[in-house]
Amino acid sequence: MKTWLVRLVLVGALGSIGFWAWGFLFPSPERVIRKELDALARIASIAPNEAPLTKLAKTQKLVSFFAGDAQVTVDVPGRVTQTFNGREDLQQAALGARALLNNLQVQLLDVLVTVGADKQYAVANLTATATLPGEKIPEVQELKMIFKKADRDWLITSVETVKTLR
Amino acid sequence: MEPQGAEGPKHHWVRRALIGRDPARTLVRIFVWIILILVIRSYMLLPIRVEGVSMLPNYKENGIHFVNCLAYVFHPPQRGDVVAIRYSGRSVMLCKRIVGLPGEIISFRDGHVEINGAPLDEPYLKRPCNWDHSAELIGPDEYYVVGDNRSMDFDQHTKGRAERVRIVGKVVL
Repeated sequence: MKTWLVRLVLVGALGSIGFWAWGFLFPSPERVIRKELDALARIASIAPNEAPLTKLAKTQKLVSFFAGDAQVTVDVPGRVTQTFNGREDLQQAALGARALLNNLQVQLLDVLVTVGADKQYAVANLTATATLPGEKIPEVQELKMIFKKADRDWLITSVETVKTLR
Repeated sequence: MEPQGAEGPKHHWVRRALIGRDPARTLVRIFVWIILILVIRSYMLLPIRVEGVSMLPNYKENGIHFVNCLAYVFHPPQRGDVVAIRYSGRSVMLCKRIVGLPGEIISFRDGHVEINGAPLDEPYLKRPCNWDHSAELIGPDEYYVVGDNRSMDFDQHTKGRAERVRIVGKVVL
């Protein structure tokens, strides 16, 4: 092979590695939030026959994604609007849900993240699906989440349901 | 060891059928086809699988259909069209029929849709319906969508005004 071609391939490979390493070491806010949401979906899911200690640990982990003054508003047709304020309120609600449900699969799809100009807050629009045991069709709900930057983490300060059809 | 003359022509024929006379050209053709299929699948004909009973009996559960994403490039959505409505993206969508157009007043009386007070002819409806719902004004950039299975309870059926930007395309095939 010609020397210039070998050099070109090497430069390309090194450039790709550098690009990947830069993204890995200094991830963009959007990437961090996407990773957080992936983790949130995993933790919000309930495995069959989860041990009580696991339930408690997962609930505490779930709440740690939220800011201390976070507000979650659930407004879906046919149900009373519910608002949860702060981590304590959320923890109670999450523990209650885990006690009631034996199995739940949560997915957060089509995540669109918009980072604010000052890079201190971000808005994520996404579609949450929750498959309950014995149900073939998942419950689908569009959500709007607002994040604020706290040190190196992004904490959820607000979650509200979006009406896809008005 | 097989004699070369016996295996040679057969091998040559199989090779030609699989990779053509010119392997480089075949590779380019495969590449072009892959790109073409990806473009069509992403921007023109989106495959969907129907889940749920809200479009019964016209669109059965687990039926595979396609959404023509270019259907409304040259004209707006029409009444009677079955459309795909997105949530935050295209991974999960609603499949509904347009019954009300922008600026119209829609209501349900004795199971019939009324547009600006006049009953709407809906030949695609096969199941009885007893819905009653007061008049609702459809916004200037909105379409009223509802499923074909109106034998369901009014409150259990997902329906309402969809913004134009949420309509991904027309369900075809």
